[in-house]
Amino acid sequence: MNKRLSLRLATVSAAAMLAASPAMAQSGTFTVSWWGFNGDALQEIIIDPFQEMCDCEVIFETGNNSDRLSRLQLRGGDGVDVIYLTDRFSQLGIELDLFQPIDRALVPNIEQIYDLAQAPQGEFGPAYSIGRVGIVYNTEEVAEPITSWGDLWREDLASQISLPGITTTAGPMVVLQAAERAGVDAYADPDAAFAEVSGLVPNIVTNYNTGSEMINLFSTGEITVSMAQDFALGRLQAAVPSVVWAELDDGAIATLNTINIPTGSENVELAHMFLNFVLSVEIQQELAERGVDAPVNSGVSLTEEQAAPWTYGDEMIAGLQRVDYVPMNAALDDWINRWNEVFGM
Amino acid sequence: MKRLAGWMLSSPATLAVSLFLIIPVAATISATFTSPEGIFAPYNEFFSSGFQRAVLWRTFEVAAITTVISLVFGLLTAYVVSRCSPWMKSILIILAVFPLLTGVVVRSFAWLIILGRNGILNNSLEWLGVIERPMALLYTQTSVVVAMVYIFVPLMVLVLVGVLENIPDDLIDAASSLGASPTKTFIQIVLPLAVPGLIVGAVLVFTASFTSYATPHLLGGTRQMMMGTFLHQRAMVSFDWVSASTVAAIMVVVIVATVLVMTRIARRLNPMAS
Repeated sequence: MNKRLSLRLATVSAAAMLAASPAMAQSGTFTVSWWGFNGDALQEIIIDPFQEMCDCEVIFETGNNSDRLSRLQLRGGDGVDVIYLTDRFSQLGIELDLFQPIDRALVPNIEQIYDLAQAPQGEFGPAYSIGRVGIVYNTEEVAEPITSWGDLWREDLASQISLPGITTTAGPMVVLQAAERAGVDAYADPDAAFAEVSGLVPNIVTNYNTGSEMINLFSTGEITVSMAQDFALGRLQAAVPSVVWAELDDGAIATLNTINIPTGSENVELAHMFLNFVLSVEIQQELAERGVDAPVNSGVSLTEEQAAPWTYGDEMIAGLQRVDYVPMNAALDDWINRWNEVFGM
Repeated sequence: MKRLAGWMLSSPATLAVSLFLIIPVAATISATFTSPEGIFAPYNEFFSSGFQRAVLWRTFEVAAITTVISLVFGLLTAYVVSRCSPWMKSILIILAVFPLLTGVVVRSFAWLIILGRNGILNNSLEWLGVIERPMALLYTQTSVVVAMVYIFVPLMVLVLVGVLENIPDDLIDAASSLGASPTKTFIQIVLPLAVPGLIVGAVLVFTASFTSYATPHLLGGTRQMMMGTFLHQRAMVSFDWVSASTVAAIMVVVIVATVLVMTRIARRLNPMAS
């Protein structure tokens, strides 16, 4: 009797343990890795129609650039069919051998997009949106307009600013601007560059790691000035209408948002179809009109009002500063340590 | 036969603990000794960096302060609760541990609303005329400690109520009848008998606050980096898993050492405690 009872109890224990094992992945799924920002609009504009096209179920992996890229790296390039990243992080992904080359014959809409978006990183993914990094500020709290990057160091902005963290897309650009102000090359003379960065410390409340975090800081009144990417401007102005994009004499900095196909994608053909779909003039038009992403398809036509928040038009794009991410990524570990010492001690 | 039954019943749990706790922790720590620059190179690098030492000290300081404050609040609350009538005790325990029903992230967010420049505290102080302009209360060590105390006091109360309930009323009555004041009774009778519970509560709160991520991330920001947030940066941003494993190993060592010290102190205060 005891033997039977023991065996039954042991079987129940083992069964309970097996029941805790993860569920098998569903088949017929297409996995998109992206930020999750503007998720509702993207669901409506891109995902729902694409699901009808591919007769598949689209599932998401969300998070900021570094979290998603590191998860992809941990999985050895598996688990995701397409991944949205800013160009700094897609460059890192290329260096980590996580992406496969794009077959441009399967993405005919590439021919319709701006030249700088077609092959920003060689044979790998194109850019689906172009953005700017600049300065935003609350005109009700900041009396004197901000007109240059150097204004971030103004004494009247003490404890008013949040900068993007060094690990975000725009963070390292703080170092580049500081180096510019110090008259040095940030890569050749990081000591001088970071000495200039340390001059910002009295003005910094905290640094942020996501666009929504920055918007929260503005809406709760913790900050009145920030360095931000323009994709967040619409939501920011909805939260705090008096925030404006500063017109900088020395120009904003260009960022390209890319879509890449990881090496472990299980739906490569669908991934190319998705890419072609996102680059189509119809989707690009709607994304721009709905305040989601700036277009790269040259067939998109926007009114002056619609184009106002975006990086749009030959003249604006030509005036942007461009960043070479190869030396930046190589220097990043050292910059992270220096940044931590400047802001974290 | 009984022994065999015992082994069979405990084997799934033992296997789970081995597979999901001991082996991963051992793998994490062993990875720190495989650096081509030397067996202790990652640790040398950690302790030779002023910033990383500051992060370690800050984390220890925050965890220690949180533990002490939680002990004081938790002990006083638990003592009052344990001396109440049964129905009042149930109500007070529910009220005390109610915050545990919500997640740590939600509870941390609540303090963003309370301590923000346009938050409840600043608005109240401005309304009362105590301050003229809002104070910068967030993204400081103080805001992290305040939130952690709020989060962990219910845990301390839960642990201590059970221990204090088991202190016989006869002892307290006897002390009182022999002329001891309530304060003296509390210090000389209740406190020593509560030491086992205090140690358990202190270990739980110290460990949880030392390894905390969400609260330092939300309320401390990047300027108040702690070991949990620093580990995340090393692992998920810098892709430096050896450095992240080093941070994890140091956290384990500090926690174990602190627990051992607490246990020794407990034994001195109450020789029956362990």
